[in-house]
Amino acid sequence: MRRTHHFLFAFLLSLILFTPAPAQKLNGHSAAPLKLTLPMKDGSVKFAVIGDTGSGTAQQREVGDMMIKYHTLFPFEFVLMMGDNMYGGEAPQDFQKKFAGPYRALLDNKVKFYATLGNHDQALQVNYENFNMNGKEYYKFKKGNVVFYSLNSNYMEKKQVQWLEDELGRETAEWKVMFFHHPPYSSAKKHGSDGQLREVVEPIFLKYGVDVVLTGHDHVYERIKPQKGIYYFVSGAGGKLRTGDIDRQSGITEKSYDRDLHFMLFEVAGDEMYFQAISRTGETIDSGMIKRK
Amino acid sequence: MKKKRYIIIGLLVFLLILASSVAVGQKTQNAALAEPVVVSPADKAAVETFEKQVKGYIALRNKVRENAPKLSKDSTPEQIQAYRTALELSLRNARPNAKRGEFFLPATADFIRRTLKTEFQGKDRKELREQIFETETQGVVLRVNYPYAQTAELSEMPATLLAKLPQLPKELRYRFVGRNMLLVDRESDVILDVMPDALP
Repeated sequence: MRRTHHFLFAFLLSLILFTPAPAQKLNGHSAAPLKLTLPMKDGSVKFAVIGDTGSGTAQQREVGDMMIKYHTLFPFEFVLMMGDNMYGGEAPQDFQKKFAGPYRALLDNKVKFYATLGNHDQALQVNYENFNMNGKEYYKFKKGNVVFYSLNSNYMEKKQVQWLEDELGRETAEWKVMFFHHPPYSSAKKHGSDGQLREVVEPIFLKYGVDVVLTGHDHVYERIKPQKGIYYFVSGAGGKLRTGDIDRQSGITEKSYDRDLHFMLFEVAGDEMYFQAISRTGETIDSGMIKRK
Repeated sequence: MKKKRYIIIGLLVFLLILASSVAVGQKTQNAALAEPVVVSPADKAAVETFEKQVKGYIALRNKVRENAPKLSKDSTPEQIQAYRTALELSLRNARPNAKRGEFFLPATADFIRRTLKTEFQGKDRKELREQIFETETQGVVLRVNYPYAQTAELSEMPATLLAKLPQLPKELRYRFVGRNMLLVDRESDVILDVMPDALP
């Protein structure tokens, strides 16, 4: 009898001790273990990319939470925002709910955000302290051997096109990265490739040797097959998702993902640019390396 | 002898055409940098009148801004909201008689409509038209001197079209709402004028 009690006690104890803790769940999805595919080289330029974020939903906050987890593994210095930074109103409480709240931990860690304007963004966002746009709708900044150009693809007026040509004409940085809202190439069914924008910007990108173009607008992830030597990414599901929106017959997709929200990590070291796309639950959905021409 | 002269003249004409086409090509190598197509003196006068009115508005706006709170490049959301509200109210008060057709006078509207018609014709522009009509602009009330609804989407303005329209200073924007074209103050989003059925 006593032996039975001992056996039962031992069984219950082992059940408590050795049963795995329930996996962390994010809205029904199990969180994947964090896995970094980037090389973490000394002196490299490390940054993250998010797009179409400003929904203020729980899912947007969960992406923000996953970004801070990855920040502990990969201390990126800044984040590029692909536009649609705020859907709906832009009252002070909206800035809190749709931006400062979801990324509070990153802001507290002195991570800088550089925004571009989307078709849902008001013009005065350029003056917002945390978007680092310096009061300008289009601007550029340098980090290490990389120059980043933020364009206003909503309103590609003559002055902006001329500015882009002039600046690229005297550019000395090794890597030239563009980021703006509307994708010149996209396989998403909702919007897809922006042909008229491409007609204007692509010749300039080719003329001045732009390496990488980062965009949003379509609420999916897509890495486009290099187009005339330029690498295009669509990263437009940081706060909104259009499930199943990718047209898998488009013929231009290298890799795509339209099942959950995501963000991206980049590392530039010398002539190599490494990238990793990560879902809201921490799953690596794409990764690779781009070699500079 | 006569034949030789014809050949020389023919060659000269060919070289002239070639040289002029190269010159044009250099000037307009990117469609977004093209010049507005002003073909007649009447169009020229219409564009000049429009530009004069725009200048007048900017002068008034600058005066109004002197009394509005200043906005730095690193403002808080509260400062942005205060600035936008103050600017909107000041602009409205400064133009109490603002009405439709003040900027888009008949001759200007006619020139712009023709420009839009040219730009939006052809198969390759079908996608462009659809894109504009797809823009979610519910809640936008086309009321002059009042702001564009903050919750509504903004239509993307085609770069090649912007190059052909009369150029605007940085304070103003063209915008589409369905087939209507608006002239909007960029910072306050106040609608300055509405051209109904502008798009073909």
